[in-house]
Amino acid sequence: MKRNYDGCAICNSTWGNVWAEVEGERLFFCCDLCVVQYRALIDRIKQDTGWHQIDSIEIVGDRRGRTCEVASGTERARFVFAFNTEGQVLRFLRADSSR
Amino acid sequence: MTKCPACLVGFARADFPALAQHLVDRAEESDPDHVRWLNQNLTRRKAEAQSLVPALEAFFALGNNTLTRWVKTRFIAKFFGKAPHPFVVALQHPSRATLLGYVFEHQHFLRQWVRSCAFIMARTDRPEVIRYELDNLNTEYGGFGPDRPAHYELLLRMGESLGVDRSIVLSTAPLPTTRRTIEQWNEMATREHWVSVLTAMHSLELIANRNLVDEGASVHYFDPAILSGNEITPAAQGFLREGYEADVEHSDEALALATRFSSELGVVEEVQSVFLRSIDLFDDYLIARLERAVQFEA
Repeated sequence: MKRNYDGCAICNSTWGNVWAEVEGERLFFCCDLCVVQYRALIDRIKQDTGWHQIDSIEIVGDRRGRTCEVASGTERARFVFAFNTEGQVLRFLRADSSR
Repeated sequence: MTKCPACLVGFARADFPALAQHLVDRAEESDPDHVRWLNQNLTRRKAEAQSLVPALEAFFALGNNTLTRWVKTRFIAKFFGKAPHPFVVALQHPSRATLLGYVFEHQHFLRQWVRSCAFIMARTDRPEVIRYELDNLNTEYGGFGPDRPAHYELLLRMGESLGVDRSIVLSTAPLPTTRRTIEQWNEMATREHWVSVLTAMHSLELIANRNLVDEGASVHYFDPAILSGNEITPAAQGFLREGYEADVEHSDEALALATRFSSELGVVEEVQSVFLRSIDLFDDYLIARLERAVQFEA
């Protein structure tokens, strides 16, 4: 999956040292909480879009509010999301879509 | 003494090299609290401990300001910056769900509040601090008779005005985040210096301090316009108005005491770190209110 971050897959931090497999890829995370957040986000995107695979994800923002732009083949979707303090999705709204 | 703002472990006074090394070591172990503190306050990019020392010194430096000013600046940056805390955003024009999220979680917070303030009173030998805490506890929890019910009672009335009986509110367990933050505030109250606890708890009343907008906050805790009209129930107006009117005095008076006694007793640095830990807990606790609110959304 193509990503815009070179650090932690969810917050782009380069602190920490957690490696976890998500969607068949071994990814770097700054802490276990971000692993939970990322997995929850991917699950929610797939649930909402019905896609079996996500080709790219571009995340923008910080803990006060994030958006992600995702693609699968020729399809695109954009979501606004936030997590609770345990890493589960608290808010997840489709911002717009070209599906 | 200098303390780690993420876990409150202590170091020698002004030993920022040791604090920097501790933060880097704990971040290397991927501890979420330490990584979070570094991410949110210093930098997201991994760095050597030595290179963090100047940034830490600058972060904690009071300069020509008082502790009060430093606390307010940090508080505003965290909750009332360009992107305010999501609960503050939701409270500008609150839905029934947002207000019920407030009611269900805050009753637990206020019960801990009493315990934290009681620890301050048990530890201090300063009569002015005792008087301040007694007045605060009556305002928040005890009340001043039928004409001036406590904030706690007004909270329960707000819940009832939104269709939820107080027996349901009082018998509902806190969400895990509320439980965790309350436990950590309780631990803080039992272990830390009373001036630190005074600052850590009463600085949280800045959230409803309407004067913060004059000091750099981007918004109020809620849009003051909701205190009139019929956008929210009269009982909700009563609850929010009470905090709006009381918390300027509460927070300013407590911070004046904190500024005076932290300097007099030589505990400024540890007060700063305990305050920083407390506002991180508060950030999480406010998210718990939103999490509860989701349960009431149609």
